Amino acid sequence: MPSDPSRASAPAIRTSGLGLFASEVRVLFARRRTWALLAALAAVPVLIAIAIRLSSDGDARGGGPPFLGSITQNGLFVALTGLAVSIPLFLPLTIGVVAGDTIAGEANLGTLRYLLVAPVARVRLLIVKFAVAALFCFAATLTIVLAGTAIGAALFPVGPVPLLSGDTIGVGEYALRALLLAAYVAVSLLGLSAVGLFISTLTTVPVGAMAATIVLAAVSQILGALPQLEWLHPWLFSHHWFGFADLMRQPISFGTFGDNALLQLGYIAVFGALAYGRFATKDILS
Amino acid sequence: MSSKWMRWLPAAIVPAVVVTAAVAIPATAGAAPTLPEKSADEVLAMIADSTGVAFSGTLEQRSDLGLPDIPTTPGSSELPTGALEFLTGSHTVRAFVGDSSSVRLQVLDDMAERDVIINGDELWLYDSDPNEAVHVTLPEGTTAAIDAHAGGDAYPGYTGPRTPAEVATRLIEAIDPSTSVSVATTALVAGRSVYQLSLDPKSSETLVDGVTLSVDSETGLPLRVEVTAVGQDDPAVSLGFSAIDFSAPDASLFDFSPPAGATVTEKPIDPEALERRLSKHSAAHGALDAPHPTDPNEDHLAKHLPGVDAAGAEGAPAVYGSGWDAVVALPAMPDAAFPMGTDAGGTPASAAETAQLLEQLTTDVEGGRVLSTALVTVLITDDGRIFAGAVPVERLQAAAAGALER
Amino acid sequence: MPAPAASAHADEPKAAAGTLAIETRGLTKSFGHATVVRDLSLAVPRGSVFGFLGPNGSGKTTTIRMLLGLASPSGGDIRMLDAPMPDAGRSVLPRVGALVEGPAFYPFLSGRANLLRFDSGDRHADPATRSRRVDAALDRVGLTAAAGKKAHAYSLGMKQRLGIANALLTPRDLLILDEPSNGLDPQGTREVRGLIRSFADEGTTVFVSSHLLAEVEQMCTHIAVMSAGNLVTQGTLDELRASGSMRVRVHTPDPGEARAVLSRLGLSPDADERPDAAVAVARPAAASATAVAYPGAASAAVASASHRDTVVTADLPATAPPPEDISRALVTAGVRVRGFSVDGASLEERFVALTGEGFDVAQ
Repeated sequence: MPSDPSRASAPAIRTSGLGLFASEVRVLFARRRTWALLAALAAVPVLIAIAIRLSSDGDARGGGPPFLGSITQNGLFVALTGLAVSIPLFLPLTIGVVAGDTIAGEANLGTLRYLLVAPVARVRLLIVKFAVAALFCFAATLTIVLAGTAIGAALFPVGPVPLLSGDTIGVGEYALRALLLAAYVAVSLLGLSAVGLFISTLTTVPVGAMAATIVLAAVSQILGALPQLEWLHPWLFSHHWFGFADLMRQPISFGTFGDNALLQLGYIAVFGALAYGRFATKDILS
Repeated sequence: MSSKWMRWLPAAIVPAVVVTAAVAIPATAGAAPTLPEKSADEVLAMIADSTGVAFSGTLEQRSDLGLPDIPTTPGSSELPTGALEFLTGSHTVRAFVGDSSSVRLQVLDDMAERDVIINGDELWLYDSDPNEAVHVTLPEGTTAAIDAHAGGDAYPGYTGPRTPAEVATRLIEAIDPSTSVSVATTALVAGRSVYQLSLDPKSSETLVDGVTLSVDSETGLPLRVEVTAVGQDDPAVSLGFSAIDFSAPDASLFDFSPPAGATVTEKPIDPEALERRLSKHSAAHGALDAPHPTDPNEDHLAKHLPGVDAAGAEGAPAVYGSGWDAVVALPAMPDAAFPMGTDAGGTPASAAETAQLLEQLTTDVEGGRVLSTALVTVLITDDGRIFAGAVPVERLQAAAAGALER
Repeated sequence: MPAPAASAHADEPKAAAGTLAIETRGLTKSFGHATVVRDLSLAVPRGSVFGFLGPNGSGKTTTIRMLLGLASPSGGDIRMLDAPMPDAGRSVLPRVGALVEGPAFYPFLSGRANLLRFDSGDRHADPATRSRRVDAALDRVGLTAAAGKKAHAYSLGMKQRLGIANALLTPRDLLILDEPSNGLDPQGTREVRGLIRSFADEGTTVFVSSHLLAEVEQMCTHIAVMSAGNLVTQGTLDELRASGSMRVRVHTPDPGEARAVLSRLGLSPDADERPDAAVAVARPAAASATAVAYPGAASAAVASASHRDTVVTADLPATAPPPEDISRALVTAGVRVRGFSVDGASLEERFVALTGEGFDVAQ
């Protein structure tokens, strides 16, 4: 047989697998859809700021949490208001699209089978897909903060920021806290991403997975609002979604950040395991 | 094909592990530490020596008095819920204590915060929603007095929780022959090993089953106070640290200036009034209590009773008996204004709301209406008299009927 | 299920190892109550171009999915490149290039970016040479010019080529190509055939599935036929051609007499008699679709000289008299013999006989 001995044996090279992650990131950001989602998120603080700028009087808080002072007095509040306004709907919506698409989207395109025979081990694909969905969470919240800061600085005066505790911080420390806040909200969405990943392994119809993920985000928030189900509340992935206020105290309280991270980690573990069970045993027929 | 089912194994195990861990880890407080044995008196002496200990900590207050659900949204000042708030829900409070004249308490509400800052002779109260601050310059010489009673009444307008040390001080002052004091056991609180001091009523006529003070074995600082009601396993009221760090907090924390745009009220304080309150407090550990029923000798609600707080001696309530099963009686009131009629900030509630709340909270009994909680019972007789105590309703009825010794 | 298969092969494990690129034993796949592949035992020799033939829906693609670890077998086992699948997928699959049920790409990425993406999934593919290897694969399938175009702008044929290029990103020991010439024009089909031959010349085993008999016949050395989930036959092309029983065909205007004579000689003439034209009609499409006409079609064309003739056919078992005796007996009996031939069944006839259905010869 004229086979070359160099390729008759098992391949010698073994890369870290980061290449796939990089490739996955490129695929995510090569999609026009991804940019459309980020643009929609960036539009939230921009629209709030413009609306308040145009209306000379009225509610100058822009629907943000009550602790935020008037945006017209301090443009830096635009970013936080934008983030707070996006938490219940816009962010889950975009995360649902990205997370629901992870596996189902590949299955729908048919590219899933080519990835698996490349070969990408199924666990590795799940991990990479989740990592990229998580990356998108951070990109999404960062987009809101950056867009909000930019538009706020452009339209309104900027100055020292009062905290919940009554103390006042400078712009530099505020920037740090705004990034922390973006990180907090991004972490809050990791559980939802894991849920979306699992749902995505159940179907080859990405739209279905996206819709189901978004519906679950809504259901979680509704259950969280029902006082009769108080026992259930700490178990909901949306439980700490509005706990970011703790980052606006002096000194910063990281307790909620930690509780939230732990909760999200639990969701990642549970739904990651479910996704693995489903995906590792699934026949890829698309 | 068995390997296919093996792949579902993590999906079966991980949720079980996660749920078990989430449920079990907070429940296991850790093994009780071994500490040198101490008598109750020695532990009490430790507490007495603990003043001036600097720390930063997070307090959790939980009250489960069996009250019906009441809207207790902080900031919704339309409802007279200021006091109720601390009786029904749970609260997280951050406490920073530097030295005797620098204290900062932060009540962490959702999206809001209430602060008390004492720095030397300055006292600040700050409420982030609606962004209001109250500034009080304390008269010279009173700071130490405030500290001796751990703040207590000297925070005008503040109805928030106190530290366990403050509460413990009150409790210990109130120890009398009707209480048996013992060192029950050792335990861990906020990761610290503590002696647990039990204060048990000798009377069987009270709703209070016992009070447990957890005292840090090194500093003597009380770290937790728990009040258990008769017939309940879980404490009806619990106030304790979930985390504590015995290093001096950053001094800048006590240096408060309200944010731009805040409404600042300068509140002058009448030195004589303050003096009177402090002395009355230490003398009789009477009506001026922290707004939760941790002091078995008195009705926490009494603080809010019109005429008691402000009027002083002339409106003093009658007390039947003494100790744990004492019953406090108020004279007949013009329109049976329920004590809840005024909230912490003094905002008058509309009569309709008051009536509705009264309706909601109380039940009909023979001779009047009764507000019944796990620890405290309040009887409003049909003729407008009010009887209260950490006792069953029968004892109140007996007092109303004049069957108790004054 | 695997136990008897293993014992049956117990005496020849060494012989089997190394000589077979793919070996399945008792491979079965069921979805609910429907069994799509039943007890399939394939043996694909190394270096062969193995045609996996069957009508659409006969279980070919499901088999390929199981070979590649995309679907798990309900029963039986698979060895590919001497390692068990799907367990050894991580070490085996890098050496296997595959085109499964048509190409699939990210429509928003260029052809080249698509290949880079798939290559980055292979942990054994050197990232340093990735760009060069992708370009070489594109060049080999003639897509260099279109490499920068977005995949959604590709024609079906270009996608097919891109799919084949994807299978060529690294040197492979085995190529599994599912319907590689689907959607290609005749020119493209010819190019693919040429590619497959060149892979074989390089020593790569090529496992190619098709529902097109002509395609398989022209490029394969080995063949396996699937029908309704069952393996009907497998072997070399020559074995298969030879394995069919000899047939005698008599072109005559006197079918009745001819049948009588044949019966008298101990043959059993087929029940149906076809006018010559019928045979011819069945094939011209094939002849035009594939540039090369195949032997059966040629003989049919010759036979269609007379429109009135009927062809009487009969199997020629080994016990039958020699052909010359048959022809003499026919002539002696007064049958007007206009044509007389004895040949093996055409492959198509074999497959029609084996699968009970025709192939889409012209699709």
